[in-house]
Amino acid sequence: MRPFAYRRPADARAAVEAALDAPRAMYLGGGTNLVDLMRLGVAEPDLLVDVAGLPYDTIRETGDGGLEIGGAVRNSDLAAHPAVRRDRPMLAQALLSAASGQIRNAATVAGNLLQRTRCAYFQDVSKPCNKRIPGSGCPAIEGDHYNLAILGHSAHCVATHPSDMAVALTAFGAAVHVEGPGGRREIGMPGLHRLPGDRPEVDTVLDPGDLITGLTVRPLPFAARSRYRKVRERASFAFALVSVAAALDVEDGTVRDCRVALGGVAHAPWRAERLEEALRGRPATEGSYAEAADAELDLAEPLRDNAYKIPLARKVIVRTLAELGG
Amino acid sequence: MRVNFTVNGVEQTADDVWEGESLLYVLRERVGLPGSKNACEQGECGSCTVYLDGTPVCACLVAAGQAEGREVRTVEGLADGERLDPIQEAFVECGAVQCGFCTPGLLVQAHDLIERVPEPSDPEIREALAGNLCRCTGYEKILDAVRLAAARKAEAGR
Amino acid sequence: MTMTPAKVPRELDSPLDGGVGESRRRPDGTLKVTGEFAYSSDLWLEGMLWGVTLRSPHPRARIRSIDVSEALAHPGVEAVLTHEDVPGFKFYGLEHKDQPVLAIDQVRYQGEPVALVAADHPEVARRAAAKIKVDYEVLTPITDARRAAFDPDCEKVHEDGNVVRHQPVIFGGDVAEARAGADVIVSETFEVGIQDQAFLGPESGLAVPGEDGGVDLYVATQWMHSDLWQIAPCLGLPEEKVRMTMAGVGGAFGGREDLSMQIHAAMLAMRTGKPVKIVYNREESFFGHVHRHPARMRYEYGATRDGKLVFAEAEIILDGGAYASSTPNVVGNAASLGVGPYKIPSIRVDAYGVYTNNPPCGAMRGFGAVQACFAYESMMDRMAAALGLDPVTFRQINAAHPGDALATGQVLEHMAPLAEMLGRLKAMPMPPERDAAGHDLRELPGGVSNTTHGEGVRRGVGYGVGIKNICFSEGFDDYSTARVRLSIIGGEPTVLVHTSAAEVGQGLVTLKAQIARSELGVRRVTIAPADNQVGSAGSSSASRQSYMTGGAVKVACEAVRERMFKLFEERLGRPPASLAEAVEHLPEVLGDEVIDETREFHHHRTERMDPVTGQANSHTQLAICVHRAVVDVDVELGLVKVVELAAVQDVGKIMNPLSLEGQIHGGTAQGLGLALMEEIVVADGKVRNPSFTDYLIPTILDMPPMRLDILEYADPRAPYGLRGAGEPPTLSSTPAIVAAIRDASGLALTRVPVRPEHIAGSS
Repeated sequence: MRPFAYRRPADARAAVEAALDAPRAMYLGGGTNLVDLMRLGVAEPDLLVDVAGLPYDTIRETGDGGLEIGGAVRNSDLAAHPAVRRDRPMLAQALLSAASGQIRNAATVAGNLLQRTRCAYFQDVSKPCNKRIPGSGCPAIEGDHYNLAILGHSAHCVATHPSDMAVALTAFGAAVHVEGPGGRREIGMPGLHRLPGDRPEVDTVLDPGDLITGLTVRPLPFAARSRYRKVRERASFAFALVSVAAALDVEDGTVRDCRVALGGVAHAPWRAERLEEALRGRPATEGSYAEAADAELDLAEPLRDNAYKIPLARKVIVRTLAELGG
Repeated sequence: MRVNFTVNGVEQTADDVWEGESLLYVLRERVGLPGSKNACEQGECGSCTVYLDGTPVCACLVAAGQAEGREVRTVEGLADGERLDPIQEAFVECGAVQCGFCTPGLLVQAHDLIERVPEPSDPEIREALAGNLCRCTGYEKILDAVRLAAARKAEAGR
Repeated sequence: MTMTPAKVPRELDSPLDGGVGESRRRPDGTLKVTGEFAYSSDLWLEGMLWGVTLRSPHPRARIRSIDVSEALAHPGVEAVLTHEDVPGFKFYGLEHKDQPVLAIDQVRYQGEPVALVAADHPEVARRAAAKIKVDYEVLTPITDARRAAFDPDCEKVHEDGNVVRHQPVIFGGDVAEARAGADVIVSETFEVGIQDQAFLGPESGLAVPGEDGGVDLYVATQWMHSDLWQIAPCLGLPEEKVRMTMAGVGGAFGGREDLSMQIHAAMLAMRTGKPVKIVYNREESFFGHVHRHPARMRYEYGATRDGKLVFAEAEIILDGGAYASSTPNVVGNAASLGVGPYKIPSIRVDAYGVYTNNPPCGAMRGFGAVQACFAYESMMDRMAAALGLDPVTFRQINAAHPGDALATGQVLEHMAPLAEMLGRLKAMPMPPERDAAGHDLRELPGGVSNTTHGEGVRRGVGYGVGIKNICFSEGFDDYSTARVRLSIIGGEPTVLVHTSAAEVGQGLVTLKAQIARSELGVRRVTIAPADNQVGSAGSSSASRQSYMTGGAVKVACEAVRERMFKLFEERLGRPPASLAEAVEHLPEVLGDEVIDETREFHHHRTERMDPVTGQANSHTQLAICVHRAVVDVDVELGLVKVVELAAVQDVGKIMNPLSLEGQIHGGTAQGLGLALMEEIVVADGKVRNPSFTDYLIPTILDMPPMRLDILEYADPRAPYGLRGAGEPPTLSSTPAIVAAIRDASGLALTRVPVRPEHIAGSS
């Protein structure tokens, strides 16, 4: 681990200013990802700006049925919040299917969004990786990519985003609040996370100094019927091979509206817009779900060893929608 | 840097702490409490689980500076003097301890479970302990121990 | 003055009652649940340094030069050492001394130690290690074990050739003739991935320089004397100057049979004159110990239509990686146990252990028998299916019984008949059918991941049989030593049991006290820390310590008892009427005297395997475990939930029910891990998943409830009639689980671990 400085600013402005002080400054939340990456030598900040203690640790219900979630809220607390459990089961389920109790107790909402990929080449500093060292190459394309991307990848990077929570938030179209050098702004999801293109080292659209202070999840009444399903290699505490967050609004046997996002398949949580479009107005039947899933998965470009993810994703999508559609 | 925090009810000051040290390292190497274990140091095994302000976390992923002013409770702080906590007693009695390296973390996590859920079902126990790897026992005796400790605590509370 | 660490292994008091056959608390239990137990990574001394190992990033390379000057100049660094600094013999190894203490001019596997650094903080040592400049000429690694073994054009990993051992076993009639007489022939190739012991306590220890030029080592190991015999020559020290104390061991499972940091820490301590602690992190641990051999196994069986096997032929290739470790003995096991406990008139097995530039492999629970068991049990299922027979019935028809010979000609004796064990297993109650409504999601495939509510889920049942040798085999004159001391302390007779045997978690400390209490009738028994001030106890492996060290404690206690009785007669003029009477009068009879007896216990002799036919009485004892697995498989998503594992095992004599069950549960869990998730993935000689993030071991959510039926068919040659119990369950649980998945899915599944995509497929 390289030497670095450690600061605990009093508020968000001070945090942003502190972060602009050093060329490789990083914000520290729960530390569950960053401390590990620093120990591995993958992250090498020269300054850690500890924002875990800033007053962004509350969850507030807005009058219209929406939720304001602070960036420093712990994953366990968000999963346990009655408005999440009751009105947004897919978000609660996504949170609870991630990591372990101890990790969820420490991990923050903002940190969860900004997790780095678990691609083994990214984590191993003895190997090339375009995400870690731009231009060094992507050994995963020819190498071990069994658990990597089938959608939206590039010739430079085939990594996946590891977050479960972000998949559910993407389905909701959550808005991310950012405090940055130029003031405050909002970024919609999807939109926070980038696809790799030719700049895989850049995970998000955030600029240096940008601090995620919170999220808004606008009301989505039909999300009271929503689900998160995750396929992984162990019964708990493993990253998704494929996951699906879905909410479905069915009236008189017809799909009025739906929200579907996929995890474990792309560099960013993947909002299945084609699927949604193909499904709206269609009968709520397994046939429609399968067709809609295919509309999305037609975009997939599997690598040598991960084509299994396409049928896997189709099956999980269909099952999840079938459960919701009754 | 200097880190001031409370461990098992005792105020501690660790000096000359390097920023990159974890709470686990500070506990084990600087304040003489090696009970919390260093099995993976990646948050994957749970053997370093400690209470941080009353919530179980992996001490290996807590940066030393983040412990400033906080309250930590480790496996060394579960017993009441010489009297073992029911969960400690049950682990020994039920054969839930073999090599024992996972035990300190499991005890803290199971202790927290029983505090929150007085009489947990088997699926609840399994879900709560899923972040604690044990390589020796196959977990059967650990389930026995948690059931026994929960029953005894419930009995004592009645 | 000799420096003693702040926390050291201490004498353990055991409960005041409980002899052989009873469950009692571990004497180290309270220390372990209070965080007070001193593991090898917990040792601490004022002013100690931290040692760090620089390892090769390449699986195969020549070393042109090593420049340590920049590392040495790094503030806080006190020593940087390379192979040139090894004070004595520069190689070590369990079977062949083929492994350099630090790489000399070349590296043969990724992670091979190249240089050492000692500094005042572990991070300083790591940074300094990064400044060591090693100029490598990278070479193409030799990674295909089959090619390494059979292709004469393949380059050599070591000068003396790539085959570490080839052991044939030829039994009964000619296989070609038998093949002609078979009605049904099935053949298949099986693969087993590299499994890791994944003990939780990483390699670690403390070396303290002695004033006499020697060194005190506090380490976690499975066999202290074997360590000593390898360490002392490398340090250029006589054995008496290497004083070893067993520190707390965080699990072993075979992974601590080979040396890891022992010589390195001692070298740094001797060079700096200061105590040096080395603690591997998890990643380094994956490189710091040997693994279970991956295997490629080609099998062919023939049978008559009425269900009798007529021949078995097998070729087993075990990739031993870069250094020999215990590969020769692993090959011996795979060969001799290669077709399991079945009566087959014609057998030909060829087992090979091969050098490659893959990670070195050696001992892991099950030791060569695990790999073969997956193959022969898969073959039994396949043949049963080909014959249209029930898999249990087919096994019962062909089961070898006491009096029958194994492939090596060794006759099974004094053990439960396999056919009966299978009958009992099949008769055990089945878990309830899956309840379509009202089930807890956590009990379905995918568990908390919410992947199914029952759709796509099919139940399957499978059986597995495994046979494991207990104790060391093939003519090795194995023994254990125990010292038992009886004295009066505070008016009460007190027994101290002292051995060098490694308590790795299995509960030997509990058992030693139980034996002493049974043999001597004394309440108060304490267990001395294990050190090399007493003779070798042999290894805590091969399921042998209850037999060997248990046996040694028993004979030492018998010697003490004999003297106790003699003293009684001398003082009271008559022999004691009973042990109880002798103990009752001990305070007056013994007074200030001490009875102190040390005894060695040897098992009966075994034979080397014939190099051409493999025939021999090569094993000390054999043990069988049989498993039934019930699984729910989500055949669409490829997820498996093991619903229940049931086992029947013959242990000869139940010494401690609680510890025994723990061994069977734990062994079964490791077999489940191999069946479903555990594999060190290696490509081009490089490990891709050296972490618990990527190398998955079963969690409490992956393990099902287990149902056990334990039999006691006494072995008259073993102490108390006991039979080693730790390994057999690791063998049979893997094939049982895979058979159950096959039953649910209809798939062939010839490789473990079985991954979701092997079940769900790509379409």
